[in-house]
Formats: sequence, C-alpha cells, structure tokens
Amino acid sequence: MVVKELIEARWKLIAGAVVITLVSAVLAGFYDVLKQSLSGSSSLQQLPQTLHNQVQQLLGSFGVYAWSQWFSKTGPELLAVLAAILGASLIASEVSKGTIFFLLSKPISRERVLLVKYAVSALILLGIMVLSSAALLVTAAILGYPQNVYGVAVSTLLLWLGMLFVLGLALLFSVLFKDVLRSLVGALVIPLVLSIPGYLHGWGAWNLTGYWADFPTYLGQSFPIKALIICLIAALVPLVAAIPLFRKQAY
Amino acid sequence: MAETAAIEITNLVVNYGKHRAVDGLSFTVPAGAIFGFLGKNGSGKTTTIKAILGLRKLDGGSIRVLGYDAVTQSMEVRARVGYVSEVNSLYDYLTIPQLCAFCRSVSRQWNQQVVDRYVRVFGLPTTTTVGRFSKGMKSQLALSLALGSNPDLLILDEPTAGLDPVARHDFLNKLVAEIAAEGKTVFFSSHILSEVEAVADWVAIIRDGTLVIADELDHLKQTQKVLKLTYAELPPPAEVEALRSLPNVMSLAQEGRSVRLLTQGDVEALTQTIQARPHALRDVDTVDLNLEDLFLEYMKEGSNGR
Repeated sequence: MVVKELIEARWKLIAGAVVITLVSAVLAGFYDVLKQSLSGSSSLQQLPQTLHNQVQQLLGSFGVYAWSQWFSKTGPELLAVLAAILGASLIASEVSKGTIFFLLSKPISRERVLLVKYAVSALILLGIMVLSSAALLVTAAILGYPQNVYGVAVSTLLLWLGMLFVLGLALLFSVLFKDVLRSLVGALVIPLVLSIPGYLHGWGAWNLTGYWADFPTYLGQSFPIKALIICLIAALVPLVAAIPLFRKQAY
Repeated sequence: MAETAAIEITNLVVNYGKHRAVDGLSFTVPAGAIFGFLGKNGSGKTTTIKAILGLRKLDGGSIRVLGYDAVTQSMEVRARVGYVSEVNSLYDYLTIPQLCAFCRSVSRQWNQQVVDRYVRVFGLPTTTTVGRFSKGMKSQLALSLALGSNPDLLILDEPTAGLDPVARHDFLNKLVAEIAAEGKTVFFSSHILSEVEAVADWVAIIRDGTLVIADELDHLKQTQKVLKLTYAELPPPAEVEALRSLPNVMSLAQEGRSVRLLTQGDVEALTQTIQARPHALRDVDTVDLNLEDLFLEYMKEGSNGR
C-alpha cells in the first residue's frame, strides 16, 4: 500500500522536490547579489528610516536573510501549498475516480487506509524539506556563509510539524468534501485565518503560523520546546478529527 | 463452507438523505448459487451491494454474509468476498504486477497463481499501465484480481456494463465454466437479462428498493405464466376486478375484450376457475415466460411479487 501511495504521488514528489529545493538554493545564492545591488543604491537611502533599517538588518547577516526569506516566508508558503495538494487528493481523488470502492472493499480498516496515506504524504514532505534545507546549507557554505547545521535541522523539524497541520487539514477536508478543489482551498484558507492574530497588536501568541519558524532556533541558540509542542498538537487535531469521520463516511 | 446461505438480507433499509433507496428488502442467496440481482437503473441494486460490503451504513435491518454480520464483522466479510464494482475502480497508473502487489499487501490470503492464470487466459498485458486497457480488459482484470483473494463469495456489480457482445460472452463463459465450477457463490447485478438467464440459477428482482420476487430461475419460469383471455364480449368492470382478486393472479392488463393475467402457481386450476365463471370466453392461451418477459411483467406498475 505504501508503494501504491508513492507511485500515486510520484509527480507531486518530483515537482515539489525540484521546485522547492531550487527555490531554497536560489534564494540563498542571491544574497550576495542582493546585498551588492542594494548597498550602493541611492534608492535605499531614500526609503523611510524604519524600512531602511529593516533592509540593512536583513542584508546585514546571511543568517537573518536566509531565515527570514526561507524559513519564515517563502518556505512555509511553498510547502503549505504542497502539503495542501498532497492532502487534498488523498481521499477525494479516490472518490472522484471511483477507486475508493476497490480500496474499501479490501479487508483493511479505514483507520489503516487513512494513516498510511497520511504517513506517506508526511514522509514526502519531510524528504522534500530535508532536501531543501540541505540545498540551503550547501549554497551558504559555497558562498562562504556556513550555517549552524543543528539550528537548520531543528528549524526544518519545526516547519515540518507546521506543515503537518496543513496536511491534516487537507486530509480532513478531503474526507469531508470528497472534492479535491474544495479540500485544497479549505486547507489553505484555515492557516491564513489562523495567522490573522499575528497582525494584531498583543495577539501574536495566538498566531499559529508564528510558531512554524523561530530565529534563535535557526541560530542554534535555543530549542523551541513550546513551539514544537504547539505545532505537534495542532498537527494531530485535524488528523484525529479525520479518523472517525472517515470511519463513518458512506461511499 | 458449512453455511447454507451465502447472504441473508433481512428488512434492509438504506436512505440517501431523505430519499429511501432500499426499503425493507429481504432475500437469501444460497451458498454455491449463481444469483442474478435484477432491477432497473436506480432501483437500489448498487446500494444493496454497498451495504453488503459495509460501504454504506444501514438505516434498518440486517445483513449476514457467509455467517458474518455485514456491519459489525465487515472486515471478516471483506476478507472472504471478491468484489468487482460497476465503475472502473482500478488504479490507472499501476501495471498488473503493481496492482497485484497492492492487493497482496491488503488481502489476508492472496493466490498469485490464480491471478497469473486468469491474466494469461484473458491475454492481458503485464507491462502497460491499466489506464491503457480497454473497458473489457479492465473488467477481466478486475475479475482476475477479485479471484486472487480466493473468495468464497464473488460480488459483481454490472460486471459486463460497457462491454461488446463478444467480450461479454467471453467474460460470462469464464465466470460459469471456472468460478461456479469451484463451488463459489456468485452474486451479480445486471440489467442485461439475456446474460443473467444464460448463467444464473437464482434471481431476485427489485423495484424502487423493494423486493418484487426472489426464486430459483427454473422454478420461477415453471410457476410464472401469462394467461391470455379473449372474451366473446367486452367484460364488465366488475368481472375484471373479480379476476384481479383471484388467488395466484399477480397482475392484470386489459385491452378491449382481451385480458392478460400474470399468474403464479397452478395455472391449470386457475384456468378452470376462470372458465367456470359466467362470462363467455372465446379463447384461453397459456404463455410461457422467459426472464425478460418476467422482468418486464414485474416492472409494470401494479404487479406485486409474492
């Protein structure tokens, strides 16, 4: 069953791995180019002071740049889309193609079906994330900015747990809607809604997506135990909700 | 298998929202039978099959399959049942060896030799993905895979839908010659009556989710006849109603002086009863029915199976 799931997801795996790894490497590789083009630029001087300071801070250290551009921004965005695509089709595409009857007529429990599908997608996500983090580390080392491997590894783990929430949501909607598109949209809209507290003063602690990345962790200065626990619980909630729903669902 | 009944359905009720798809259905499929399950499209055949396999929850009644409760022991049921669905439900992106590996991983007892033999008999290519197969080849593969789990009961939902007559003939021949000969029970739904008549020894007919009749096909054909009565003069309405209420009259249709009765049981005795009535008959014909005639009679409004 694992092999069947891997074959089914092979194009998503290949496309996801190529695009995401390439983006992480290119982002890291552009640091010097960006720094040089902006350092002498007169337009930088014309920016408001606050913004000017932020750009200076961003380009002042490769670590700040890499974390903010990959782990805090582009990485979660791309990976959330991939997680939603992977999760949304897990059950819904079986229903739309009619293969759900073939699958569920076999003597296996629905829990096993759901968990194997989820586990394969989670491992695909992990593999792609490890690959993209490795690409970032190698690019940084080539450019002469070696990064803290432990920090990158823990940041990758944290982001993976964050992505498992999106994957779980997509799976839950896939069971609920039996429709890939609606499951995909649902899995992307919910994290966006949950990120709203991040924009409200004093509500930052309620921003779930804010726990997906942590700068001191990236630097290897701390272990994000609270963030890991929150992300783990958040990842389990939609998965645990999907299991009884799938068990009761009629096809 | 010690069971005398492969499937026992008792007062089955299945709803789709507010729509009642199956309404108080009860019948028994004897072990070792080739059982044709007939009904128009939307009559509840597929819903009943899904309920047997535990794919739909029951809103009433019970189903026992090979001695197991279809709801509480669904896993045991599925371990012993081979199923071929009406829609093409195979994974298009897999080859036959990959599909076999998948089925092996989710089956309790997998017999690769059986699958290999049927794949050879049907001449199916093993290196191309299933997506490139014709409809007929997909049906043949689905049947081969269903047999790979060495089932005691084979459930086929419209197995020959979309096949050309030659492919249909091939499929059914294999079904009868090989599978039924092994003593397995075959329960298959269809609305192609000629193929059911060719292979089935038992039939059940459902209409709007309720059972019209379930019986051994030979017995059904022996006991179900049409009596064509031609009166000398137009029979009065009271006489027509009297005929309708006679025992063993299942349905009645009148066209002028002709009255057509679908009867069950002793047709000779019924003929004598009718001839003894005061209205003069010009002619009485007894017509034997084939399955198609029977089915059409039962599908008419007002006919009630007993």
